[in-house]
Amino acid sequence: MALLAHNEYEEDSSDEEDIRNTVGNIPMEWYQDFPHVGYDLEGKRIYKPIRNKDELDLFLEKMENPDYWRTVQDPKTGADLKLTDEQLELVQRLQKGQFGDVHFNPYEPSIDFFTHEVMIHPVTNRPADKRSFIPSLIEKEKVSKLVHAIKMGWIKPRKPKEETPTYYDLWAHEDPNSILGRHKMHVPAPKMKLPGHEESYNPPPEYLLSEEERLAWEQQEPEERRMSVVPQQHRSLRAVPAFPRFIHERFERCLDLYLCPRQRKMRVNVDPEELIPKLPKPRDLQPFPTTQALVYRGHTCLVRCISISPNGQWLASGSDDGSVRFWEVSTARCMHALSFGAVVKSLAWNPNPSICLVAIAVEQTVVLVNPCLGDKLLYGATDQLLASYVPPDEERVQPVQWVPATAEQHRKGIRLLLQHGKEVKQVTWHGKGDYLASVVSDNSNQQVLIHQSSKRWSQAPFRRSKGLVQCVLFHPIRPHFLVATQRYIRVYNLLKQELTKKLMSNCKWVSSMAIHPGGDNIICGSYDSKLAWFDMDLSTRPYRLLRHHKRALRSVAFHKRYPLFASASDDGTVIVCHGMVYNDLLQNPLLVPVKVLKGHELTQDLGVLDVLFHPTQPWVFSSGADGTIRLYT
Amino acid sequence: MAQLTARFRTENRRYAVEDVPFSVPAASETTDLSQLINKLLAAGNADHKYVEFDFLINGQFLRMPLVTHMEMENISTEEVVEIEYVEKYMAPQPEECIFHNDWISSIQAAEEWILTGCYDKTARIWSLEGKSIMTIAGHTEVVKDVAWVKQDSLSCLLLSASMDQTMLLWEWNVEKNKVKALHCCRGHAGSVDSIAVDCTRTKFCSGSWDKMLKIWSAVPTDEEDEMEEAANIPRKKQKTEQLGLTRTPLATLSGHTEAVSSVLWIDAEEICSASWDHTIKLWDAETGDLKSTLTGNKVFNSVSYSPLCRRLASGSTDRHIRLWDPRSKDGSLVLLSLTSHTGWVTSVKWSPTHEHQLISGSLDNIVKLWDTRSCKAPLYDLAAHEDKVFCVDWAEGGLLLSGGADSKLYCYRYPTTASDVGA
Repeated sequence: MALLAHNEYEEDSSDEEDIRNTVGNIPMEWYQDFPHVGYDLEGKRIYKPIRNKDELDLFLEKMENPDYWRTVQDPKTGADLKLTDEQLELVQRLQKGQFGDVHFNPYEPSIDFFTHEVMIHPVTNRPADKRSFIPSLIEKEKVSKLVHAIKMGWIKPRKPKEETPTYYDLWAHEDPNSILGRHKMHVPAPKMKLPGHEESYNPPPEYLLSEEERLAWEQQEPEERRMSVVPQQHRSLRAVPAFPRFIHERFERCLDLYLCPRQRKMRVNVDPEELIPKLPKPRDLQPFPTTQALVYRGHTCLVRCISISPNGQWLASGSDDGSVRFWEVSTARCMHALSFGAVVKSLAWNPNPSICLVAIAVEQTVVLVNPCLGDKLLYGATDQLLASYVPPDEERVQPVQWVPATAEQHRKGIRLLLQHGKEVKQVTWHGKGDYLASVVSDNSNQQVLIHQSSKRWSQAPFRRSKGLVQCVLFHPIRPHFLVATQRYIRVYNLLKQELTKKLMSNCKWVSSMAIHPGGDNIICGSYDSKLAWFDMDLSTRPYRLLRHHKRALRSVAFHKRYPLFASASDDGTVIVCHGMVYNDLLQNPLLVPVKVLKGHELTQDLGVLDVLFHPTQPWVFSSGADGTIRLYT
Repeated sequence: MAQLTARFRTENRRYAVEDVPFSVPAASETTDLSQLINKLLAAGNADHKYVEFDFLINGQFLRMPLVTHMEMENISTEEVVEIEYVEKYMAPQPEECIFHNDWISSIQAAEEWILTGCYDKTARIWSLEGKSIMTIAGHTEVVKDVAWVKQDSLSCLLLSASMDQTMLLWEWNVEKNKVKALHCCRGHAGSVDSIAVDCTRTKFCSGSWDKMLKIWSAVPTDEEDEMEEAANIPRKKQKTEQLGLTRTPLATLSGHTEAVSSVLWIDAEEICSASWDHTIKLWDAETGDLKSTLTGNKVFNSVSYSPLCRRLASGSTDRHIRLWDPRSKDGSLVLLSLTSHTGWVTSVKWSPTHEHQLISGSLDNIVKLWDTRSCKAPLYDLAAHEDKVFCVDWAEGGLLLSGGADSKLYCYRYPTTASDVGA
């Protein structure tokens, strides 16, 4: 204590601090077990003060010494130190958390060096940095990189703003195709049946149940009952009691609402254009007749029927002026004319190329004419063939009379006359050229007759009449015979003598028919302006009904070589269609209308009466009511 | 107004102008150019008379304003255009109208006479002035084709083919004006539609509806060829019917699948035939082999060959006249088609003197004169006929002949211009 008071410099120097012990600044615990606590300047041990005071001594000292509380042990020397008043005060201040220096004021008023007000003079006098006014090279480099990236399109400078429309479609929900509409998917709840008269408090008397009805109602299962409540009559609305089934009914309604499967019926949206079958363009289906090439003039009245020679060089036509004319196809030259004096109803050129014979139906006779055209040897041979007939020994009863031509008629080319009892409507040849069939306008079983020209033998193939026969046809390949009545086409097997097929035409009145050279397809025209195509392998009903004509169809024809068929109608047009038949049974025939040929003038409300294809070229002939025959190529 | 630079050139020395480029209005037409040339010629030659010219650019006739034509043909208007000019072909002038009794099926002109085949079963000889000289009757059916074999001042040989399946070789004594049937050529089994005599005048070829071509000798002899008799016809009867000695074919060429409509000799060894089976076939006349086939897609009515330009022209049952190269191997390439008719083209004939010109007759009643250098439109339409035209021919000395279903034979004078000689 005395040292402290006397020499303040002793304490100031760290070197000289407590130089009595020279161990230095080490933890004094190292000397705990030693009797000394260090060494003095001379190197002699400094011994710990003898602490032989026991607890009692300590207690007495504590009680007696008034400075005990301010006495601490010096760890360096082990001597007791009594703290001075200044030291005590310092300790007390530190214990209170105050600054050690009494004179230090922690709460001095602060003076702002910078103010929030903008000052006109710089705070410092330092001149501005150079970099503050020179553009930054680093930034420039960064900007140029960005510019380059924008130029190259690597980054987009700014995204276009998504423009939200100011107005929105108020009815967007209504459109089921719109997005909003699709999310809605509102399915209305099933409606309840509205109460009827029987649920009225005062139903009409006929609704009230009688006694038996009530019994029957009670015996029925609740599910089977026609109505769930028994109609009851009350005098007034006030007299109506509480409805006992109310809860039950509400429960059932709730069951209805949640058990009833509510789903939207998906209606398939089909473009009507897509339903139309994909047909090839007519352009791709060449060749077919397109333009009128020749007009064969000479008839003075409507030309009812035409027929062409098997090699396609000659054309025969029969007209209402009572004449048959023979034409050269390539020049429209009338080679000669035969006059019969009566309407020529039908004529057919023998399809056998080695026979030169035309069958002509005039009034009640079928006339076989040798037109003496073409190869001389051929028509000479035909005459010989007809002349070589030897009458059988016994006369047979025949439905028609075979009359050889007189000399005068022979000179004109007429060779044989088949005299029927009635008006003859149609003649047609079998493909081999020996048999021919004729149709008579009659209602008996003798309507259809089949004749054999070489044997001069006729027969009526049918025992019973099946209706008015419109036209008949021989099958080109099989021994079948087709008979068209008003509404049906019957196919008979001539060998087995039985009906093989009956085709329903779905038309009111069949006018004509033609058979595909392949033999499996038939077209039939009707007076109700329909053309029916039958695929005989497919069904007995039409494969396709074509309604291209505006008025009654008069004639239909197939081409022998090209996939073409034509129909002639009273509306003055000929419609040529592409009709491809495939050998593959799985593929249906392809029918494409390709051309409407106009040319004939309407005369007496009649247009085109007959249509015919050239046997080798894609040409079509048509004969009309205006007395002309036209060739379209 | 736009201008073009053009250089004018002509084959004809008489009308040559200076070979320097001229600037002409782009919209000028043939008349303007013609006036220009005439002015240039008048400047050089005081006694020049006005001549109409026609202009060719790259071998195509100018038929519209110059600039439109060049646009269509893709010719650059920047460069100097080379324009060739020729004296304009004068319109054929109608000269004679010779009346027949019936439709005319065929015509062949000789130096002084015209031979026609007629549907009244006769062939007729007419002078160029339209005087009837001879009527040759003998066929039992329509005469479909006629041909001169040989012409002398004393006697001529001629042929007629008929629908009665025969051809008759006639000798016509000019002085006595007598005609005699020398040979009856039998063998066809159908109407004989076409005959052609070869250039040596010793053979001829016939095409018939029976799909056959037959080659016959055209030299008159005194011998009769043996013919297999048709057993059914009595020999006596046949004898009385027939005119002249029977002749049988030297060779038969078969290969067509339809009627043969037209035959011709390309040279002494080659025969060309057109048929309804849509083909034109070339045959070796010596061996009878098929050399090549040109396939079309329509029936051929008529075919003609020009030795000058070595092209075949065909008329078919559509509106087009088609030009073919007979030597092409692939055989279905149409070089050019000339379209202006509205009906079947029944007859075509190349000009014997001009390599670019041909005439055609059609079912639309019009005869057209064509220049292959102007394929878009014909040079002239000759619309004199009132009915179908079946046959056309060129006569020597610039005469065009046509006959048809109105039974009239029309002659047109077609003036040959000086440039014709050069061409």
